[in-house]
Amino acid sequence: MSGLDWGVLVGTIAVIVLYGIWKSRKTQHMASYLRADNTERWWMMGLSVMATQASAITFLSTPGQAFDDGMRFIQFYFGLPLAMVVLSVTAIPIYYRLKVYTAYEYLESRFNLKTRSLAALLFLLQRGLSTGITIYAPAIILSAILGWNLTGTILFIGVIVTYYTVVGGTKAVSQTQRLQMAVMLGGMLAAAVVVVQMLPAGVGFSEAMAVAGSSGKLNLVDLRFDPNDRYNLWSGLIGGFFLSLSYFGTDQSQVGRYLGGETIAQSRLGLLMNGLVKIPMQFLILLVGVLVFVFYQFYQPPLYFNQQQAANVVASAAAPAWHKLEADGEQAFLRKKQAALQLLEAQKANDEVAEAEAQTKMRQAEETRKALRAEAQELIKTHNQGTDLKDTDYVFLTFVTTQFPKGLVGLLLAVVLCAAMGSTASAFNSLASTSVVDVYKRSVRPNATDEHYVRASRWFTVGWGAVSIFFALFASQLENLIQAVNILGSLFYGTILGIFIAAFYVRKLQGNAVFWAAVLTQLLIFGLYLFTPIAYLWYNLIGVVLVVGLAFLLQPLLRKPA
Amino acid sequence: MTKGDIDPPPFFKSWTAMYGLVLGVLAALILLFYLITVSYS
Repeated sequence: MSGLDWGVLVGTIAVIVLYGIWKSRKTQHMASYLRADNTERWWMMGLSVMATQASAITFLSTPGQAFDDGMRFIQFYFGLPLAMVVLSVTAIPIYYRLKVYTAYEYLESRFNLKTRSLAALLFLLQRGLSTGITIYAPAIILSAILGWNLTGTILFIGVIVTYYTVVGGTKAVSQTQRLQMAVMLGGMLAAAVVVVQMLPAGVGFSEAMAVAGSSGKLNLVDLRFDPNDRYNLWSGLIGGFFLSLSYFGTDQSQVGRYLGGETIAQSRLGLLMNGLVKIPMQFLILLVGVLVFVFYQFYQPPLYFNQQQAANVVASAAAPAWHKLEADGEQAFLRKKQAALQLLEAQKANDEVAEAEAQTKMRQAEETRKALRAEAQELIKTHNQGTDLKDTDYVFLTFVTTQFPKGLVGLLLAVVLCAAMGSTASAFNSLASTSVVDVYKRSVRPNATDEHYVRASRWFTVGWGAVSIFFALFASQLENLIQAVNILGSLFYGTILGIFIAAFYVRKLQGNAVFWAAVLTQLLIFGLYLFTPIAYLWYNLIGVVLVVGLAFLLQPLLRKPA
Repeated sequence: MTKGDIDPPPFFKSWTAMYGLVLGVLAALILLFYLITVSYS
């Protein structure tokens, strides 16, 4: 990495962190530490909500997913705007009326203490585990591609975020997040422009789209209903709706963002801004991945994008087999490049026969490339212990570091680190606020002073920071990092959302029945994950239905005799 | 707290219209994405 890249990277991170600390230096009370004194404007909350969801994994894994699987992942977000509307109408006014610090406080006034505690504990468990992945994911990829020390990278991200979250609480989190979002959006826009400019002469944006379309990468909407298929219109609209409802309505890392609003109207606008901007933003990130795919139709890609793992094979006795695969891959690439150029020529000449012929050649070459990659994966598996065989998380950053001009590499790395820091800070802040408000203050030390709880919040932030860094340091390799986070979320969100839906909308249900229904549901969801092929997005819907349904069944059995 | 306690959104007379905008944009995006999928498949 050049000196200019280091300057851009370090300068961007330093300015953002110092700005956040300076803006939040006067936070002394619970209301300022956990709710930013209710001074936040809608656009700040909107950016904060988006930065919380957009982790580093979003910017590393999503382009790689588009590179490998096309743009169909966009459907995952179709339920999000629907959820933003429902939460604006229902949840926000209730949270404001009760003046809560966390979403779980409401459950005690509606049901009982044990239901509030169960929901808070499920949240702490899920968020505590996934925050480890949020730190680990960018660290492993940055260390593999740039040769950075893995432990050092994890500690760098974890310690800096813990520090400014401890110092400034919610205000520091949101102040830093608005700058982080600006860097993220600016960086990805610049990346999209630069990728198009790097395509060979005669291949512009429309030609790139033609090549991507012929390779099946512009598969944005799939109308087929298949419960075992992760991404189609219906799983996106229904499963994505329930996942978003749960994530934005009951996950304290998000609820904490919009509870800091000046008024109900400001909080609503913040959520609705997310509903309007999120899908176009994800589209842009996926489009960058597709453009990278098109780039590698004209320029030789590596056989395997995780170069560290490939190097382990090259250093072993399997080196000749690996080099043979690379040579065969080069031949397949040349055939595919020829076919892609032939396709563009045929389209220009409106020659449908030649176009179909070129598409067939492209598909054949792609099949050959896939077969070679499968063989390469076998070698990788043999010569790397505990290996993540999906190297798609490495595609985008490999492309950036090997192809982008000086300065822009530093900016794109700043995008990744900003995203890691923004989502991690929200997680630490929400874990601390839930630990203090729903556990420590409620059940351990109820009558201490306001200053004591602020001190406790700071210590809990340090504690959760340490736990997350510990998990990140010892995280095992996972299939696809963004999917791992979403799967982990879906395992718990259905149950938590079921509790909240029963609380918000089903007045007949009482606390005891909802509590036991939630316990049973959580066990059943674990069973579905372990023993069935049902796509994880559906766990959210199944969890909700089970909690509400089981609560209705259990209520007559659990009712105390008069 | 009553309905009147909530400020109206900017540029719109009611929250219903604001929600309509969000859902309308969603519908338009899905339609646009569907047309892209069909035209390039």
